Amino acid sequence: MRDKTAAVLPRSEADLPGLSARSSVPLGRVALLALAVATLALLPFAVTGYVLYIANLLLVFVVLCLGLHLVIGESGQFALAHAAFYGIGIYTSGLAGNAFGWPFPLSMLLAGLVAGAVGVVIGAVALRMRDIYLALATFAFGEAMQWVFLNWDQVTGGPNGLRISPARLGAFEILSDRQAYPVVVVMTVLMLLLTILISRSRLGRSFRAVRESEVAAMAMGIPVRRAKITAFGLSAFFAGVAGSMFATFSTYIHPDSLGFQTTILVLTMIVVGGLGSIAGAVGGAIVFGLISEFLRQTPSYQEIIYGLILIGFMMYAPRGLFAFIRDKVGGGTRG
Amino acid sequence: MTLDVAFLFLQQGIASGLIVGSVYALLALAIVVIFKTSEVPNFSQGEMVMAAGYIALYLLVFQSLPLWIVMPATILAAFAGAALFRRLILNQVARANGSPVNLVIATLGLSYVLRGFVRQTGFGDTPRSFPPVVEPESILIGQASVTTLDLVILATAIVVMAAFFWMFKYTKTGRAMRAVGMNPKAARLVGVDLTRIHMIVWGLSGGISAVAALLISPKVLMTADMGSIVTLGFAAAIVGGFTSLPGAVVGGFLIGIIENLVGLFITSRAIVLAPFLAIMLVLVIRPQGLFGGRVEIKKV
Repeated sequence: MRDKTAAVLPRSEADLPGLSARSSVPLGRVALLALAVATLALLPFAVTGYVLYIANLLLVFVVLCLGLHLVIGESGQFALAHAAFYGIGIYTSGLAGNAFGWPFPLSMLLAGLVAGAVGVVIGAVALRMRDIYLALATFAFGEAMQWVFLNWDQVTGGPNGLRISPARLGAFEILSDRQAYPVVVVMTVLMLLLTILISRSRLGRSFRAVRESEVAAMAMGIPVRRAKITAFGLSAFFAGVAGSMFATFSTYIHPDSLGFQTTILVLTMIVVGGLGSIAGAVGGAIVFGLISEFLRQTPSYQEIIYGLILIGFMMYAPRGLFAFIRDKVGGGTRG
Repeated sequence: MTLDVAFLFLQQGIASGLIVGSVYALLALAIVVIFKTSEVPNFSQGEMVMAAGYIALYLLVFQSLPLWIVMPATILAAFAGAALFRRLILNQVARANGSPVNLVIATLGLSYVLRGFVRQTGFGDTPRSFPPVVEPESILIGQASVTTLDLVILATAIVVMAAFFWMFKYTKTGRAMRAVGMNPKAARLVGVDLTRIHMIVWGLSGGISAVAALLISPKVLMTADMGSIVTLGFAAAIVGGFTSLPGAVVGGFLIGIIENLVGLFITSRAIVLAPFLAIMLVLVIRPQGLFGGRVEIKKV
C-alpha cells in the first residue's frame, strides 16, 4: 500500500508546481489536492464494495454541488429545483439504457443535455423573478416534477420506482460499484475542470457581476438575463450529468429520493463548505456527505445532529468550513 | 357529469375549501408576518406546527389534562419556543453574517431538530390521531355536508385572524412591527427595540402555528412529517403576494377551494399538485401575487 502512495504522490506533485506558478495557489492547497488525488486513486484497492458505493455517491453529490454552486454561489440566483434536474438526468440515462441500450457515455451526454434544456426553458420563465420569488417558483417546479416522476407510470414506473439496467459500452457492462468507480471519478474530475474553466472565463465573471449587482452588471453591458439563464441551464446540465453518473452504479431509482429534501441537502453542502467557492462546494459535499453517512448508523439522532450542525455553522462559521479553518488555524496563508 | 352533480360538487368544494383554507390562511399569516419583518421565509414553520401538535397531544392524551389547560399551554409553549429561537439562535446568526440565506438555513436546521426530536421521543413513530375538540356531527349547508368540528375550525381561525389584524393595526406593538417591516433602520432611530419586536413577531408566528396545529390535528393523521402541510401555507402566501397579510388570508381560502375543486372535478391524485401549479401560475402571470405591491428593483 505504502509503495503505491509513493508512486502516486510524486507524480501529482510534479504536475502541480506549474499550476501553482500560474495561479499562485498556496502550498496548503497543493498538499490537499495531492492528498485528494492519492485517496481517489488508492481507494479501490483498499476498501470494500460498500465503501466504494459511498464514494460513488459522494462524487455524485460533488457534481450536484458544483452545479448548484454555478447558479447560487457564482450567480447568486436562488434556484431550488436541483433535485428535479438530477431526477431528469437519472430517468433520461436510465431509460436510454433500458429501452435503447445506448452506450453510457452517450446517455450521460443526453441526460445532461435534456436536463439542461429543461433548465433553460424553466429558467427563461422563472428568472424573471428574483430572491424569494425565484426560490419559491423553482421550489414549486421541483415539487411538481417529483409528482410527475411519481405519477407518469408508463415512463418512470411511478411509485414502484424504475429498475435501471447495467450501463454498457459495447460488450462491457458495469455490474458493480467497483467497476463504476473509475467512470464516476473521471466524470467528477471532468465536471470539476469544466466548473473551474467556466468560473475563470468571461462567462464566470459575468455571473459574479450579476451576483454582486444586477444594475451595475447591466450598466457594464453584461446581458443580465442571458447570464442568469445560462447559469441556470448549466446548473441543470450538471445535475443531469450527476443523475446519469448515479445511474451507472445504481440499479434502482424511486421518486422519493428526488424531492425538496435532496435539493436542501445539496444547498446545505455548498453552504457548509462555503458559498461562492468551488473548493467549498467540493469540500462541503464530501464533509457533509460523510457526516450524513456516519449518522445513518444512528437514524434516530441523524436529524437532530444534522439540524444542530446547520444551526451551529450559521451561528459560528457562516462563511463555511474552509473560511472558518482559514480564520482559526491558517491565519495568513493567503498572504 | 350532469349539471346537478356539478352544482353539488361546487358547493361541497367551496364549503370544504373554506374550512381547510382557514387553516392554510393561518399558516400563511404565520409565514408572512415573519417574512415582512425580517425577509426570512421560515422553513421551519411546518415543524413548528408539528411540534405544537405533539405538545398538545402529549398534554391531552399522555398527561390527560383538560382541554382548557392544554390549548393555552400549547400556544404559550409555541410562542415561547419561537421567540427564544429568534432571540438565542437567529440573533447570533444575523450578527455572524447578516445575509438572509444564513437565517433561512438556520430555520432549516431547526426544522430538522424538531422533527428528529419528535421521532426521538417515540410519539412520532406511529401515526396518531388527535381527539376532536367537539364531537363531529354532520350538518348540511345548502347541499354541502360539513361537520360541527369543521364549523368550530372555521370560526376559531376567523377569530384568531381578526384578533391578529386588530393587534397589528391598532396596538403600539403592531405599529412597531409595521415600522420594522417598512424600514428597520428608521424604526430603530425612532426608538423601536428591534430585538424585542423580532421576538414578538416570531412568538406570534409560533402561537398562530400552534392554533393551526390544534385545528388541523383532529382532521389529519399526525406523524413527524406532518409539517409538510405548510407547503400549502407557502402556496397561499405566494398567491396573496408574500408580503401582504390580507393577501395571505385570501390566498389561504383560495388554495383551500382550488384544492377541493381539483379533487372533486378532476382527480384526487392531482390534489397534491394543485398548490404547486397555483404557485407557478401566479408567479408567472403576476409575480407580485394578488395583493403584493410593485416589485422593487434595488439600486446599486
